[in-house]
Amino acid sequence: MTTHAVAARRLRKDHGGTRAVDGVDLLITPGEVVALLGPNGAGKSTLIEMITGLTRPDTGEITVFGDAPVAAVRSGAVGVMLQEAGLLDDVTVQEAVAMIASLHRAPLPVEEALRRAGLTDLAARRSARLSGGEKQRVRFAMALVPGPDLLILDEPTSAMDVAARRDFWRSMRDFGAAGRTVLFATHYLEEAEQHADRVVFMRDGAVVADGPVSVVLARVSGRTVRAAVPDARLDELRALPGVAGVELRGGRAELRSADADAVVRELLARFPGTHDIEVIGAGLDEAFIRLTEEEAAS
Amino acid sequence: MRTGYVVFEIRRAFRDSKFFLFAVALPVGLFVLESNVIRDVPASYLMGSLAAFGAFKAALDTGARTAVERGIGWQRQLRLTPLTGAGYLTAKAAVAMLVALPPVAGVSLAAALLSGVELTTPAKLATLLAIWAGIVPFALLGLLIGQLATPQNLQAYQGGVVLVMSFVGGLFIPVTSFPAVLARIAEVLPSYWLAEIGHSVAPGGGRIGQAALVLALYTLALGVAVAVRYRRDQARP
Repeated sequence: MTTHAVAARRLRKDHGGTRAVDGVDLLITPGEVVALLGPNGAGKSTLIEMITGLTRPDTGEITVFGDAPVAAVRSGAVGVMLQEAGLLDDVTVQEAVAMIASLHRAPLPVEEALRRAGLTDLAARRSARLSGGEKQRVRFAMALVPGPDLLILDEPTSAMDVAARRDFWRSMRDFGAAGRTVLFATHYLEEAEQHADRVVFMRDGAVVADGPVSVVLARVSGRTVRAAVPDARLDELRALPGVAGVELRGGRAELRSADADAVVRELLARFPGTHDIEVIGAGLDEAFIRLTEEEAAS
Repeated sequence: MRTGYVVFEIRRAFRDSKFFLFAVALPVGLFVLESNVIRDVPASYLMGSLAAFGAFKAALDTGARTAVERGIGWQRQLRLTPLTGAGYLTAKAAVAMLVALPPVAGVSLAAALLSGVELTTPAKLATLLAIWAGIVPFALLGLLIGQLATPQNLQAYQGGVVLVMSFVGGLFIPVTSFPAVLARIAEVLPSYWLAEIGHSVAPGGGRIGQAALVLALYTLALGVAVAVRYRRDQARP
């Protein structure tokens, strides 16, 4: 059996009377890139704190590369980028990253960590004079410099503008290409869609969906067909095979279906006047809303 | 062991020129003032008091500033490295000790140059070194304040402790001019005993052995308090 990068079983953690994490099981295989999603208060941060050894679970077990989390972090196997971790105003980028490197046994060269984080030109600048996005890059460099096998990132691209975000994910891809494991929490659903192999949704302290991005998307009933159908009535559209839901407004129909291709064929066969056809994939955004609604209703 | 981290902290401490200027200028200025105003005690006695003041304040302030690192989440960042809590606190205490050297040197130099206090004998130089060694409990007290205070209320905590230690401990006004009750209270404070070491350079000497014992007990008690408090703080969710 291979050692999992992260192996968590039945994790529970109470925070001041409320259950922040309520029975989470999570296995991450080395090399996976996993996105952790969920609304605020879903327990993502508490889960990350337990994986990084900052907090101990009340019950349940957790290992990182077969070790206790604290031991794994101290060995340099885990690089962590915390969203709220402060930086020292009086210290330059170079000094901060070099100091973290000096604590580790086999760190990356400081120049390499700075280059990967896009900080080469800012090396001599003190943290007090960095923008929010630049500070995020410093946190990223501090997470990279131990030369970790597992990188854990809490909201890595918050405070970054669009260009910085693109550069960030490019350097993440370079890092992941070496077969390393990445776990990141994000609010940007398109980031999970574009950069993760696997998505873990949390809500109310529990995992409500876990799987490849495509599988999680399929759980929320495929795609939507939009078209102008001038001569159709609502009940006729509803009767089309494979249609899960219909809306009709001013001659424009919106049909949801698991098999959009079949719906398009039927539409054209029965209503030759159909035009302006669009097929839209249900995004992770929609999946996210439906998953959280679904759970709330049940 | 963690030389990279200790060097990092030393560079930070010595780069803060405003802090340094103040840490040296305040006790030196007070010495110049008091040695011209207070005539009934020898200048060497005042030197002992104010060298002790400058040293303990620099050490305490340096330790207490860890409240900021705790408040902004930098200590959390360090917990994600191989640096242990003990390593962090030891490095901070070492830097606090180092930062306390210039005030002792400054007051001694002012005493030698302006008031003609004789400091060239080995015994007197050893006294200056002993003052410096005696500030360990103050570095620890600073670290304890750093664990208890927030960046917002730090000034109040720190300022209050420094004032009580300095005034009640007899570092600003000689204990010999205190009313009897206050003089008894002064003897409870570690600052009183730190100054007592300094006073051994003055005619009449000081109770060095007793001072060393009291300061050692304070070191032990505060060391335990810092360790317990730090551990409890880190266990917080």
